[in-house]
Parts: sequence; C-alpha cells; structure tokens
Amino acid sequence: MKNKQKQINFSKSHKAYVKKLRKDKFWVIFFRIFILMAFLGLWELLTYYGVLDPFFVSSPSRIVAQIIQLAENGTLLSHSWITLYETLIGFAIATVLGYAIAVILWWNERVRKIFEPYIVVLNSLPKIALGPVIILWVGAGTSAIIVMCVLICIVITTMSMLSAFLSVEEGKILLLKSMHANKFQILFKLILPNSMPEFISVLKINVGMSWVGSIMGEYLSSKAGLGYLIVYGGQILRIDLVMAATVVLCILAFVMYWLVSLLEKHYTKNR
Amino acid sequence: MENLLTYENVSYFYQTKNDEIFALNNVNFDVEKESFVSLVGPSGCGKTTILSLTAGLLKASSGKIILDGEDRIDTNKIGYMFQKDYLFEWRTVWKNITLGIEIQKPKNKEEKLAFAEELLKKYDLYGFKNKKPRALSGGMRQRVALIRTLALEPKLLLLDEPFSALDFQTRLSVCDDVYEIIKSEKKTAILVTHDISEAISMSDKIIVLSARPATVKDTIKLNLQGETPLKKREDPTFASLFDNIWRQLSNEKQAKTN
Repeated sequence: MKNKQKQINFSKSHKAYVKKLRKDKFWVIFFRIFILMAFLGLWELLTYYGVLDPFFVSSPSRIVAQIIQLAENGTLLSHSWITLYETLIGFAIATVLGYAIAVILWWNERVRKIFEPYIVVLNSLPKIALGPVIILWVGAGTSAIIVMCVLICIVITTMSMLSAFLSVEEGKILLLKSMHANKFQILFKLILPNSMPEFISVLKINVGMSWVGSIMGEYLSSKAGLGYLIVYGGQILRIDLVMAATVVLCILAFVMYWLVSLLEKHYTKNR
Repeated sequence: MENLLTYENVSYFYQTKNDEIFALNNVNFDVEKESFVSLVGPSGCGKTTILSLTAGLLKASSGKIILDGEDRIDTNKIGYMFQKDYLFEWRTVWKNITLGIEIQKPKNKEEKLAFAEELLKKYDLYGFKNKKPRALSGGMRQRVALIRTLALEPKLLLLDEPFSALDFQTRLSVCDDVYEIIKSEKKTAILVTHDISEAISMSDKIIVLSARPATVKDTIKLNLQGETPLKKREDPTFASLFDNIWRQLSNEKQAKTN
C-alpha cells in the first residue's frame, strides 16, 4: 500500500488533504489520552493534598497498589476467572439458545404468532426481578448467576435475530422457490448467511449484556467473583477494593469486546 | 412452429382478508417455441400473476395451462428472472451462478457445471468468476442473474421487468445483451414490462392485457427489421406500433377510472 502511494504523484491539494486527515486523527488521539491523564492526575493530586478524602474516593495510586496486592496473593486471578467463566458460559448459552429459538420461530409462523406476546412481556420485564425465583429454583451460586446472565441476553438475541431473518427480501425467497428449494435450503443458503451482519451486532450487544448479567448475579448471591469483591468492598468500606475490581472488570469487558470486533473485521474483509 | 406454452381460458382469484380478488378472466394465448413474447398491460392488471402461474408458484383457479405438451407445470422447464438481480452478496459470481445446481443436485451435475462455466466464458464474465457481486456493474449483475437462470437449462424463460432497476443507458445495452443471449441459446421467453418500446424492440409477439380482471385485449405479431433491439427501434413501423399499444393501454386506464 505504501509503495503504491509513493509511485503516484499526488497533487498539492491532495497532499494537503491527507495532511489534514492525519492532523485530525492526531488531535483526536491526543485529547483522548489527555483527558484520561488529566482526570487521573487531578484525582491523584486532590487526594494527595487532602482536598478529597481518599477513604471515600480512593486514588489512582491506591487502586494500582490494591491491584498489585490482589495479584500477588492470587485472589485477583481467581476472582476474575470466576466472573469471566460465568460471563462466557452465560454468553455462549444465551447466544446459541437465543439463535436456535429465533430459527424455530422463523420456521413456524403459527408458533411465532402464539409466542409473540410472551416474548414482548419477557423483553420488557426487568430480569433482576426474577432473582429470588432463580435462587430458589437453581440454588445460590454459580448456576444462578449463569441463569441470570442467560436471561438477560437471550430475549434480545432471539428478537434481533428473528427480525433479521424476517427482513430478508421476499424476492430472494421467491428466487429460491423458483429453483424448488425446500425450506431447509432456504434457511441455510439464504436466511442464515444473509443475517450474518445482524448476528455480529447481536454478539457485540451480548458482550456488554452478559457482563451486566454476571455482575448482577454476583450482587444477588455469590461467594466469589469481581461483583462479589465490589459488594464486599462496599460493605466493609474499602473503596480501594471496589475501584480495583471495577478497573479489572473494565479491562476484561474491553478485551472481550475487542475480540468480537476483530471477528467483525475478519468477516467484513472476507465478505 | 409448435407451441411451448398455451393458456386456455385461465382464470385466477386470490384471497385477501376483506375481499376475493378476480385477477385473471379467461386468459387465452400461446407462445411458440423459440419466440419472444411480451405481456403489456396497465399496472396491477395481473401480468406478474401470469408469470407466477406459469412458474407453478400459483395454481390457476380454472382453465388449462399447457406447457411443452403437458397439462401440468414441470417446474424444471421454467427459469424465472426477477426485477432485481437478487445476487447473494456473500457468494462469488460462480457460486451465485451455480446456486440452482447446488439446490437441485441433478444427476448430471458435472455436465451442468461445465455448461455454466461455458456460459460464463461466452458472455465475458469468466474474469469475474471468483469476484463478489458488489465488484460488478448493474448491467453485469443482470447478466450474471440471466446466466444463473440459464444454467439450469430451462425451456421457457420468464422475465419479470428484468431491466426496470437499471438506468436508461445501461438498460438499452443490457436489453441487447439479454436478447442476444436468449436468441443464441435458442430459448423461448416471456417478458413482462411497463415499457412499450422495450416490448416492441424485443418481441416477436405482444400480448396486450386489459385492466383487472385481466383478459387478452389484443395480440400483435411483429416482424421488425434489425439485428438487435436497439436497431429494431429504427424500424419505420415502430412509431405506429407504439402509438397503437399506447392508445389501447390508455383506454384501459380511462375505463378503469370511469
């Protein structure tokens, strides 16, 4: 790519344009970093000089120290792993099951019509309200947290995928029918590949939602995990611990989102 | 020449929630082998219904449709080409063209694939074999769509306004391309169109339909001079034919509003 650019003699105005683009990009990145640094610096200074009480607001240096301490005694890894495990399992079950239900609802119009109001109600219900019921039914602990996570993701997965399946151009279905495709072939040759972009956006939504699910589940009942650390830290007034767990959570969620966007890039490149 | 398709007193009703709609009323016409027939009529008169009936996607309420000497529709003999190209963006040109073969899994699959490849070569698309459809121009996409239809070797091609989504310049040249391909493959074709000049320039016969419920108002046999549709537009009788059909259609429109 770079070699190609060298070969072509661009006009002056184009060079100026490219320069402006680069400049714009530079300033965007500069301010991103600047805002973060300013925020952290101000936070650190205000707590250092006693304007803010680090007991209530913590401080960047204390958070880092806390993370290091947690990492050294191994609790950070074990708690992170538990939450990550719950999130990934919940994410996987919700995505696969939600997708499968969407396929069934696409397949059978009558079933779809029958279940429509149920899905709408389930979607508008705040899933956290089901917390006590879940604990009663599946028991407190990891399985309850996973169920919570699944409940939060699954309805939106089914609804988004179903609407993607149903939005396929009628003419494309007619084309396959004119070639005497059966319903299986219409599903696998048209409906599923055609809805790949929507599937990737569902994955992206689910990354966020499954973290919400597992942390909410841990708030509800847990003995370990990042959500547990946050609640525990809050109860014993150790704001450093709360902040440290939150930072780790941010990093994990970001990495998972980044992996999905890598998948998206790979997909759009090969499309 | 013998007939490939004959409509004998075909009527068709379809149901909506509030009404039963009388779409076709005793339609009679025939299509000779290797001829090009156009259906013109006021919009909403049931032209597409005729194509759907012919393709076996709908069943006539009464009357007979005789295809290739048989009183039933053998859908293997029909190739359907739509208004839009409906190419699948995630498949390469080759995968799009062989879609029908992939679906029908015919016994002579190898032969069919070889034939499809030959068509690609013949109509200058071989270089795009492994490209995705978005790399093609509108006219090329429509050519790919035609080859996808031809790859199944249908006896009768149904063209449902296949050029209406193209801009005027492309439309004229694609029209020539498609005409040439259909003639050189010795196919029979039925074209549904709103464009009277397109119908005149391409057809051996034009069937003028009335407003709904559609019945055949007029059948016009054509014999214009010229190798291609574009050349045929220069024929001296072109203008009077256009005038004739246009008058019939606008009478229908008036009758409808009165």
